[in-house]
Amino acid sequence: MAELLSGSNLERVLAAGKFAVTAELGPPMDCNGEVVREKAKILKGNADAFNITDNQTAVVRMSSIASAFIILQEGLEPVMQMTTRDRNRLAIQADILGACALGCKNCLCIAGDHQSFGGAGRLKGHPGAKNVYDIDTIQLISALKGMRDDGVQQGGDPIDKRPPLFIGCAWTPMGDPIEIRPTRLKKKVDAGADFIQTQGVYDVEAFKEQMKIVVDMGLHERTAILAGIIVPRNFGMLKYMNNFVSGVSVPKELMDRMKAAMKAGGDDKKQKRINQEEEAGKITVELIQQCREIPGIKGVHLQAIEWEKKIPEIVEKAGLLPRPTFD
Amino acid sequence: MGESGSKQSLDENLKAPCVAACPVHTDNRRLTEYVAHGRYEDALELTLSVNPFSSVCGRICSHACEQECRRNNVEKPLSLRMLKRFIVDNTRDYRLARRGKIKKTAGTKGKKVAVVGAGPSGMTAAHDLAKDGFSVTVFERAEKPGGMLSYAIPKYRLPYDIVREDVDDILALGVELKTGFDVGKDVTFDQLKKDHDAVLIAGGLFDSRTLALPGMDADGVILAMPFLREAAEGGTPVLGKKVVVIGGGNVAVDVARTAKRLGAEEVTMICLEGEDEMPAWDWEIQETVEEGIRISNSWGPTEVRTDGGRVTGIDFKECTCVFDDTGRFNPQYDESNTCSFDADNVIVSIGQQADISCVEGSKVKIAGGTRFEYDRATLATSEPGVFASGEIAVGPGAAIEAVAEGRRAAQAIAHWLDKGDVASIPGTDMPHVGELPERVAEKVIKRDRTEVEFADPVERLTNFEVIEPCFTEKEARQEAARCMSCTLGAVVDEEKCAVCLTCVRVCPFDVAKIEKKAVMPADECQACGLCAAECPAVAIKLERWGVHEMKNRIAGKLERLGGKPDKFLLGFGCLFQAETRDALQNDPAAVKSDGIVRISVPCTARLTVSDLLAPFELGAGGVTVIACEGDSCQYPIALDRIERRVKEAGGFLEAIGVGADKIQLMKTNGPAETEWPKILSEAREKLG
Amino acid sequence: MIIADQKPVAEIKGFIEGKKKVLIAGCGTCVTVCLAGGETEVKNVASALRIAFKNDGKDVEILEDTVERQCDDEFVEPLLARVKNEGFDAVVTLACGVGCNFLSTRIGPVQVFPGVNTSFLGSNEAQGDYLELCAGCGECILHLTGGICPMARCSKQIMNGPCGGTSDGKCEISQDIDCGWYLIVKRMQELDILGQYDEIQAARDWSKGTHGGPRRLTKETAAMAAEDDAAKES
Repeated sequence: MAELLSGSNLERVLAAGKFAVTAELGPPMDCNGEVVREKAKILKGNADAFNITDNQTAVVRMSSIASAFIILQEGLEPVMQMTTRDRNRLAIQADILGACALGCKNCLCIAGDHQSFGGAGRLKGHPGAKNVYDIDTIQLISALKGMRDDGVQQGGDPIDKRPPLFIGCAWTPMGDPIEIRPTRLKKKVDAGADFIQTQGVYDVEAFKEQMKIVVDMGLHERTAILAGIIVPRNFGMLKYMNNFVSGVSVPKELMDRMKAAMKAGGDDKKQKRINQEEEAGKITVELIQQCREIPGIKGVHLQAIEWEKKIPEIVEKAGLLPRPTFD
Repeated sequence: MGESGSKQSLDENLKAPCVAACPVHTDNRRLTEYVAHGRYEDALELTLSVNPFSSVCGRICSHACEQECRRNNVEKPLSLRMLKRFIVDNTRDYRLARRGKIKKTAGTKGKKVAVVGAGPSGMTAAHDLAKDGFSVTVFERAEKPGGMLSYAIPKYRLPYDIVREDVDDILALGVELKTGFDVGKDVTFDQLKKDHDAVLIAGGLFDSRTLALPGMDADGVILAMPFLREAAEGGTPVLGKKVVVIGGGNVAVDVARTAKRLGAEEVTMICLEGEDEMPAWDWEIQETVEEGIRISNSWGPTEVRTDGGRVTGIDFKECTCVFDDTGRFNPQYDESNTCSFDADNVIVSIGQQADISCVEGSKVKIAGGTRFEYDRATLATSEPGVFASGEIAVGPGAAIEAVAEGRRAAQAIAHWLDKGDVASIPGTDMPHVGELPERVAEKVIKRDRTEVEFADPVERLTNFEVIEPCFTEKEARQEAARCMSCTLGAVVDEEKCAVCLTCVRVCPFDVAKIEKKAVMPADECQACGLCAAECPAVAIKLERWGVHEMKNRIAGKLERLGGKPDKFLLGFGCLFQAETRDALQNDPAAVKSDGIVRISVPCTARLTVSDLLAPFELGAGGVTVIACEGDSCQYPIALDRIERRVKEAGGFLEAIGVGADKIQLMKTNGPAETEWPKILSEAREKLG
Repeated sequence: MIIADQKPVAEIKGFIEGKKKVLIAGCGTCVTVCLAGGETEVKNVASALRIAFKNDGKDVEILEDTVERQCDDEFVEPLLARVKNEGFDAVVTLACGVGCNFLSTRIGPVQVFPGVNTSFLGSNEAQGDYLELCAGCGECILHLTGGICPMARCSKQIMNGPCGGTSDGKCEISQDIDCGWYLIVKRMQELDILGQYDEIQAARDWSKGTHGGPRRLTKETAAMAAEDDAAKES
């Protein structure tokens, strides 16, 4: 086995040629660490590493790094997320150094949703906030790689103890304009992305097409691509994702299945919910299995948004348990 | 001329074609503007200022203005002659009162001028010279002044009292008129000359030309001029059942129509010219045909058939060609093709010639025939101090041309009397813009020409009553609204123009363009004023609209109304919706009681946002803009623009706590007489 | 050009409450063209203010003036002289922020208030329609992006876009906003220079933009020598 970059559990799983599983853990909108601990307890053992979102959808939540530290204490491996929206290059690097000092080994570099999204639903958010975007995702990947491999800060000053990071980023394979997406992935890989977690995949066929291009480019050998799977809790959510989430399209067949499940509940709200949640589990398992068969896919990244307790069941049904362990 | 290009309209040389075409350059655009604004008296003053025979021209002018009107490029020309008639017909009381106030300026200068002939040319010269202070005496052989106007033009076209209206204004200047006075007989020309400092020979062409045909001396062969004159004097020349009129000119038409009115059952006009070559005006030919008169073209007379010294008919041969290649009168005939008409009377109307007996025995040199030596540029004859004008000098022409020549003659004589020499007097040519480009013409909203219905052809043949009714006020206003105000459009102040392109973008006629600065070519601009109202730099002026000047206008109006009612309602209305000028007026008593002040504007889309706010500065409680709905609007997109501006003004009012609802836009097709009171009183009620 | 948008007249009125004589000052350049602060807008704002104070029963004199540009001494001098000579106690400028700054530093003890919000550098897409096209960031990178600027036209100002939020060519934040990077990619394809896209654009040097402190540009070759200035003054 080649020398590890970070020695993170996720890196080890991938290095060992195992099909990797990551799952998402959303921190609370307050300072209650118990919420994070509870979620950690439910998720423990069901994935190789757990992404802690960073002010996801521009909603203020407990910081990714602090939450990551809590789950580290619970014996889980975190993937801290770092948006370029909220911090300039100074803050980002300082936080990365601190996180590494606390034992974080994985970092997902993302742009973050625009602050205008924070006001959705019942939330007011902070649409009047100033965004930073001092550097973009690709530049952030470069910066982290420079810190780790070359021992320099982005500005050029030396770093004595280099941060051992497994560097990841997101990828929207079916984003518009679709023809630029493989190239943009290549730029991320060129910049130093060790692993990729894709935007949620429902349209497996379209994803396959994009992956074929990526494989032809050899990118799957240079980075580990984990297919993003967003657990579709109900019909409404599927519809919303199809209509409003960029780069996500849900095939009609899936929509129909979920709709049928909903309708089967008749007027019974509770039954409707149960039906849909059951169907969600089935669909998710199928998606995992289908993605697993796509050449170049090295794992899955599961997102059960505010429904983390569903993850163990799904992972089990998908036959992904037990997760590998290393000494 | 047709010079066009992108020059702006302040250039005095860029005249509208209708103005240029009129021999006295009547500014028809101002006339129509005055009519639209209900200023009929001002319109009368304007036309009289250039044309002392305005009443006459309102009836019988050959209206070259209409031929050149650029509405021809859109649909049909403006009915400008009829508008002039409307003006004079509707200002009679004013004119009478005005006549009493005319200053007798004649004689204030101490030099004397004799005018021979009281036709339009001589009387116009007399008018201008008298205004200039010269003492003028007009010598007229006939009993009545007016020349051809009084003796040749039939009454159904021009009643004598109409001629008299114009003549009386001229006489009011102190011009002395001696009728029944035959220069050459009652006084020798030399004596006349001795008695005066200058003489103008301004006779008409009163002698009919005749034909040298066998049988011409038979009973029943009549010459046109004596025939018309007898009819004009109220006589009834006795005619048989069948009358043949030889000739195809306007006089021949008058003769034929007069003959028909005098009882001839069958009147036929026969002329050398083909249908398209006839010298008579198209509209006259049309009216002639309506009256059941037959016209037979391309025949030359060969012989008058007689029986016992009395006409029985007339024979013709085919005329194959009237003019030669050089355009000279040189008829060719096909002797083999002949025809014959039975006739109880033959009236010869093949042209007129001058009677120059007045100068016989004087030193005025004769050039041959019935013409004397005459310089068209200086209007001088061979004899110093003797000038000539009108038909006797330049040959047959329209009344308005005689008027124009009379004005030139006055200038020539004034120069002679003031300076002692002759001067070249400018002709009547004037530079003007060309036709309306098709690109622009197709964007102009089409409006039917307003036509009047003539008296029934059967009915009208029973008398000599005027056959053409005048425009009603509604019709006149509707017709005036068709004027495109050629060359009186937008003018850019280059110093202020920010080249923002607003004018280019809003111009509904695609006329505005940028040539370093914004330019609205005068020959294309439709004077709608939309660009000026939108210009953010106040860089566009309009020839006849004060941009952003509404505040002063309202203030002036309030003052004239004797102060402003509390929280008055200001109603802006489009004056083209008013069928009468009364609708445009504010009655001070009504204003006092209902608190509604009206301001009429030529299209509400001329109002700027500051114009819309201005009433509030002056204490208005509300503003209602009454705009024309749909295609009743004069200009494309105007409604959209005023809607947006009302909205913008409403935004300001809302922001300062007055409330956006205090200004409202109402749409209607009018008429103002019935719709405005409804809209305004409703708005007034809402205002409380 | 500079695009500005008129402030609500109620806000402007609030600025000058208590003043007795106020000059509304327009600018004949950018703000005239974008219909925010030329002579016509000056008339409108002044009129609205006169109505408002009149309705309040307050005697405030509101006068108007518009100069060619409020960012050059030669043009603003007559305006400043008028303010001094006629005793104005406040000025509301409808020029962009430049004009307000420029007047404020020259006018003495008279407060200058902004009558517009200076919005952005943009184009006039159609009558009354303006689009931000330049962020004035100080270091142009348009040669890298097919002439379409990600600084001005990408909501995240990313240099290696498009982010995952693009949908049907529109930005994730609004269907009314074109995705700048979508336009860039399409433009690069049109120019057949998409190959250049492969290169990772490094983090920017923002110091040339406003992040480097207020900027001043001196064109040495155009500037006048100090002596000449002195000579001119005497």
